[in-house]
Amino acid sequence: MKSSYNLLLTLTMALITQLAVSQTNTYSGVVSDPDGFPLPGANVLIKGTTTGTQTDFDGNYSIDASIGDVIVFSYVGMRTVETTVTNDTPTTLNMVLDIDAQSLDEVVVVGYGTSTKRKVTDNIASISSEQIAEIPTPSVQNTLAGKAAGVQINQVNGKAESGIKIRVRGVATISSSQEPLYVIDGVPMINNDESVNGSPINPLVGINPQDIESIQILKDASSAAIYGARGTNGVVLITTKKGKEGKTRVSLNTSYGFSQPTNKREWLNTAEYVELFTEAALNSGFTEDDAAFFFNLFAENEEDWRDGLVDTDWQDLALVDGSVEDFSVNVSGGNEKTTFFISTGYNKTDAIIRGNDLERYSLRTNLNHTISEKFSTGFGVGISKTKVNRLSNDNAFATPLQGIAQVPFSKPYQDDGVIPNPNTLYYNFLFQEYNADHQSNIWRVLANVYLQWNMTENLNFRTEVGYDFNSQVEERFFGSLTESASTNGFADANAVQNEKYVLNNYFTFNKDLAEDINMEAILGMSFEDDRRRLQFVEGQEFPSDDLQTVSSASEIVGGGSTRTAFNFLSYFARTNFSLWNKLLLKASLRYDGSSRFGADERYGWFPAFSAGYILSEEEFLRDNNTLTLLKLRASWGVTGNAGIGNFASRSLFQGASYNNRAALVPTQIGDPSLKWETTTQWDLGLDFGFARNRITGEIDYYNKTTSDLLLAQPVPSTSGFLNITRNVGEIRNTGVEFVLNTKNFIKENFRWTTSFNIARNINEVIDLPGGDIISGVNIVREGESIADFYLVEFAGVDPDNGDALFYRNTPLEDGSLDRSTTNNFNEASRVIAGSAFPDLIAGLTNTINFYDFDFSFTFQGQWGASIFNSGGRFQSASADFFDNQSRDQLDRWQQPGDITNVPQARLFGANGTQNSTRYLQNADFIRLRNLSFGYTIPTTFTEKFSISRLRLYFTGFNLLTFTDYNGWDPEATADFNADNALNVGREFYSAPPAKTYSIGVNIDF
Amino acid sequence: MKPLFKYYYLTIVALTGLTSCDDNLDLVPEQSLDPETATSSPANIQNLLIGAYDLAGSNVLFSGDTQLASELLANDNRIENENLLGELAWRGTFQGPAEFNRKQMTAQNAFVVPYWTQGYATINQTNLVLDNLDIITDPETAAILEGEAKFLRALVYFELVRHFGLPYETGQTNAQLGVPIVTNAVTDASQIEFPSRNSVEEVYTQLITDLQDAYNLLPDENSFFADRYAAQAILARIYLQQGNYVAARDAADDVLNNSGHSLTASYEDAFNNDEDSTEDIFAWQITTQDGINDYNTFWATRDFGGRSLTGDITIEAPYFELFDDPNDERSTFFYEGNGTLASGKWQSQFANVPFLRLAEMHLIRAECNFREGSNIGLSPLEEINALRARSNASALGALDLEEILRERKRELGFEGFALHDLKRTKQDVAGIPYNADELVMPIPQREIDANPNLVQNPGYVN
Repeated sequence: MKSSYNLLLTLTMALITQLAVSQTNTYSGVVSDPDGFPLPGANVLIKGTTTGTQTDFDGNYSIDASIGDVIVFSYVGMRTVETTVTNDTPTTLNMVLDIDAQSLDEVVVVGYGTSTKRKVTDNIASISSEQIAEIPTPSVQNTLAGKAAGVQINQVNGKAESGIKIRVRGVATISSSQEPLYVIDGVPMINNDESVNGSPINPLVGINPQDIESIQILKDASSAAIYGARGTNGVVLITTKKGKEGKTRVSLNTSYGFSQPTNKREWLNTAEYVELFTEAALNSGFTEDDAAFFFNLFAENEEDWRDGLVDTDWQDLALVDGSVEDFSVNVSGGNEKTTFFISTGYNKTDAIIRGNDLERYSLRTNLNHTISEKFSTGFGVGISKTKVNRLSNDNAFATPLQGIAQVPFSKPYQDDGVIPNPNTLYYNFLFQEYNADHQSNIWRVLANVYLQWNMTENLNFRTEVGYDFNSQVEERFFGSLTESASTNGFADANAVQNEKYVLNNYFTFNKDLAEDINMEAILGMSFEDDRRRLQFVEGQEFPSDDLQTVSSASEIVGGGSTRTAFNFLSYFARTNFSLWNKLLLKASLRYDGSSRFGADERYGWFPAFSAGYILSEEEFLRDNNTLTLLKLRASWGVTGNAGIGNFASRSLFQGASYNNRAALVPTQIGDPSLKWETTTQWDLGLDFGFARNRITGEIDYYNKTTSDLLLAQPVPSTSGFLNITRNVGEIRNTGVEFVLNTKNFIKENFRWTTSFNIARNINEVIDLPGGDIISGVNIVREGESIADFYLVEFAGVDPDNGDALFYRNTPLEDGSLDRSTTNNFNEASRVIAGSAFPDLIAGLTNTINFYDFDFSFTFQGQWGASIFNSGGRFQSASADFFDNQSRDQLDRWQQPGDITNVPQARLFGANGTQNSTRYLQNADFIRLRNLSFGYTIPTTFTEKFSISRLRLYFTGFNLLTFTDYNGWDPEATADFNADNALNVGREFYSAPPAKTYSIGVNIDF
Repeated sequence: MKPLFKYYYLTIVALTGLTSCDDNLDLVPEQSLDPETATSSPANIQNLLIGAYDLAGSNVLFSGDTQLASELLANDNRIENENLLGELAWRGTFQGPAEFNRKQMTAQNAFVVPYWTQGYATINQTNLVLDNLDIITDPETAAILEGEAKFLRALVYFELVRHFGLPYETGQTNAQLGVPIVTNAVTDASQIEFPSRNSVEEVYTQLITDLQDAYNLLPDENSFFADRYAAQAILARIYLQQGNYVAARDAADDVLNNSGHSLTASYEDAFNNDEDSTEDIFAWQITTQDGINDYNTFWATRDFGGRSLTGDITIEAPYFELFDDPNDERSTFFYEGNGTLASGKWQSQFANVPFLRLAEMHLIRAECNFREGSNIGLSPLEEINALRARSNASALGALDLEEILRERKRELGFEGFALHDLKRTKQDVAGIPYNADELVMPIPQREIDANPNLVQNPGYVN
């Protein structure tokens, strides 16, 4: 560098000498990209000085410069241009910046540091704030669906606080946690569902998506291995917004919308019900009088069903119109020493299920300060309070959706229209709203503080302390008219305090070892301590329904408190080399120890290596205008999964009681040599860009093998136990991911970009000592994919007598299956009937800017999964019981010769109502996940009001769903099962997600 | 690399200064004990025994569910001439009981599975007590603990062998498959075994030995826990099931003469009690804080804590046809649900579950005296009439076996005897012979899947 400096100096001196007099002029113009599109916010600086400016919204700048000054024009993703001011330089100086051949200088957050897209040799999906900010959902994970290749995001059901499952590159475990590790601003987060009733609460519900700057999902082992024993399921790095140097910016976003269920199903009305059930009763040997007797049990008056005077649509009572209200405002700015970001937000979501709503208040402050050249410090604090009015889980009469089982001629309310009707087939869920209360209050504090010491130009030391506090109080009251009538009411209160502190200390070393050889290294340690306390009390016998806290219970029937903890002690190191800007090497190592594992197996090593080769930097490609980027990546690494109970390695006994006498019972049997699951993953990747990077993309192939599975292995219960957690078995996920980003138009006033991703994952259980694991209708079997459906195969209806038929499927001597049919369910064998996980997931996002209009939408789709409706045996059961039936049951067999798939209706006849493929369906779908349409009022107009940006927008969520599944929704999941890794792909009266239409406004000052 | 060297010391401090954290990795559970501690003191062995009562008295086992299976499997679910033939109607949504009522059980039946799994969890718990008796220093206490553990273990084996094996045939070698006999406790993964099924004969031999031991070890009185007469009373029931009428009679006679229990003043006093009645030889204890009474769950109406408006099980006309005297209190011990009738026996949600009532001993002694032509204690007619008098039913003039069995149904209806009485008296159910495969429960599928040495019962393929 020295030689060029000398040259410059010489030149400058020469110029000065030549001109003798220094002259200052104002230069102005437009900075634009090669297609003439103005670049707002481009930096224009006088080299070697602090004098500089930025272009305005239309790319205009104006700067004072003297002859001989060098003006530097730079913009992220563009090649920097330097122009020396001479006498000949026109004062109107328009500048066109070329797109950087690599377009790779974008900052990417990695574990314990940052990198650039150019240097990264890993597979990391990045999602920026623009892509998620306006999607009308209170859950941040929900905004990611369809945006990252190979990342399946599935909201459990339509409840406002509903849990969300994220599966990165398939499921790599059977009994351990499938959830990724969430890290916010360097601090691993608490990710425990603290719901008391089995219907999960999203642990991240307290986070305001508007505070998020970017989300990176570390997918491959090379990137995730720095998180060692918790990297297997991927790592989600959340970075919150920080202030930027410059004038103070106030940004306001507010939106309001309404929502509806994405789907409603069709149920019998009174006339159809009476017709079908009368027929069913006759078919089962009853008389019409018997049927009338039955009907009268559920009707107030006989005319109600005979003349159809009452025709209640219970589904309409359960699924209601919802709304979403979101307000957030932030102030950010700073000077060269201190930057700040202050934000506050409010969200109110009324779910589409009666009685379910959520309100969140959030506050975040991030501050960074440079103390001196050597030291800088900063902190970030996010505080939120979320209040949720909750519902019972899906497996309760009290949950609204089970209301659809009620008989259509039962009135919902008594004649006063206020008090629910108690004389219904099942407990009338409307009493929950009238006479019960279930509320959860969640307080979350996420704080971190750091001190960075720049010891030398090349070396710095950073110490970070993080604190995460999740406190939840869940209170329930069931009054004297509810299911707790027999005890004159019931109430409970559950309090959980979960706190975690994290200490990170690490050195970062960065040096150009030689020209074009850069080395970066980190070395550090981390300690994490997580403690959880729980207290609960429950009581019954209440003097009045107006006294709803446990204090008023005359009898306390239960109570307790527990404490549990786990911790991690880890050391880590990583080094990166960048050679000649085209060859990239990385190695990392983590050493993790955790209290969760047996003393002998407490520590583990997690190494990773990766390499990248930017071919397009080679001479032979450098000036190729067609193929402008070609980068090869390869990585290998080892990660772990420690997501089991805190004390899974031990045999444990717990307190119990019998008639109020103390007792001890064993609760689990342990394996003292238990350790983490180990996943070895390699990844081959290719990044490409064509036509000056108007077309870019990534192709990755990965092979992810998990061994030493933490498996709740079933044991003969004659041992007194059902299963034991052991390290046995092996699973492999292999897959291909493809990402394609295109800039279809980049004309001024018309920009259209498309981003498409698709991923195929193949899951195979390689080794399963101990044989099949069957959990209800799911099976884990060697050679098959995990948690496949294992069911008796429904063979339709016998045209002669209307009996449900099943394929026998018993293995014959030649190895084939007996495909003859039987009407005796017990004569039929179960077969693998489908997979619970998709093998293909895809997302497609289009963004169009046209003059002052912007428009974007994301489609999401999945293929290859099946869904089992566990409620089918009640809902579509050939009138087996009095539950109202889905309308398709009208297609029942009625007389010999009828060809149909609905067996003859038989009251109490169980005609084909056993668990079989009758209730299994394909869960393929394509969904318009989100859509937004905005209009920015021209700044020429808004500037008069000191508004730098005013944008009005419409945004929608889950607007369209295309699927053949005839239940409520192909993604809906029985929530009481949601935390069970094996009971997947099952629906049970599970509400569909909300379809939301919102309008909003962004204002920046 | 000089700067690095300069900070070398600092690096070492920063990276090793927290090695004391390593001690922090030794966290111990705060709500649980390890097996060594749990079996280390006499008090803990006592706690383990109470734990065995807790497991056995669970709703999924003896506090309602296994009796539910017996009653529904024995219920005639057919309809003839537009009338229900059975004494019961199943009106609930649960598929498990519906399968019992239809005599079409599957190996995933959600009620069958816990009979087995909870049963063996209880057996393991009793084995834990028995394996650690040497900890107990006081021989008297050790004897009581041993007796109670063997009593509970035998109860479970009796329940399992009756449900999962073909019926016991009197006077034959009962080589048909019963259930595995496990007598060693498991606290460690290495102790897990894959047992095969023992024969019905072997299981009966095992459990009778246990109960005879219990009878010899237990005291005359033992609060609400099992005493020696509880062991003798269940022996009477077992001998009756085996058709060993002499032994059954003598065991019942012993209980009637020596246990100190007496019939309650009225029939309804024998039920819905929070404390054991004078008639309870042994009852499962339920409190508002602990234990679930599944009799209440399935037989009571929603107003009293049951699952549905009518009660999941309603009592139908054929049951009332058993009665010969309208003043018989047992024929009116019912209440109305939603136009249907529910039994009054399980109306209270938190009442104890009577398990061995003295009335049963009277019925056993009367039946066995009748069958043997003896008059030990009382003559059969006097005994039956004395029992009837308690319920205000008029005395019978004469007696035959059928009448005695009817009296059993009048007295012990819905208490879990139905299927086992049908089997021992070799009567059909809904046209299905007493020893048919359909009346034997399938071994739970999860158990077949987990233990390759188990043979499934005939008639169950999947």
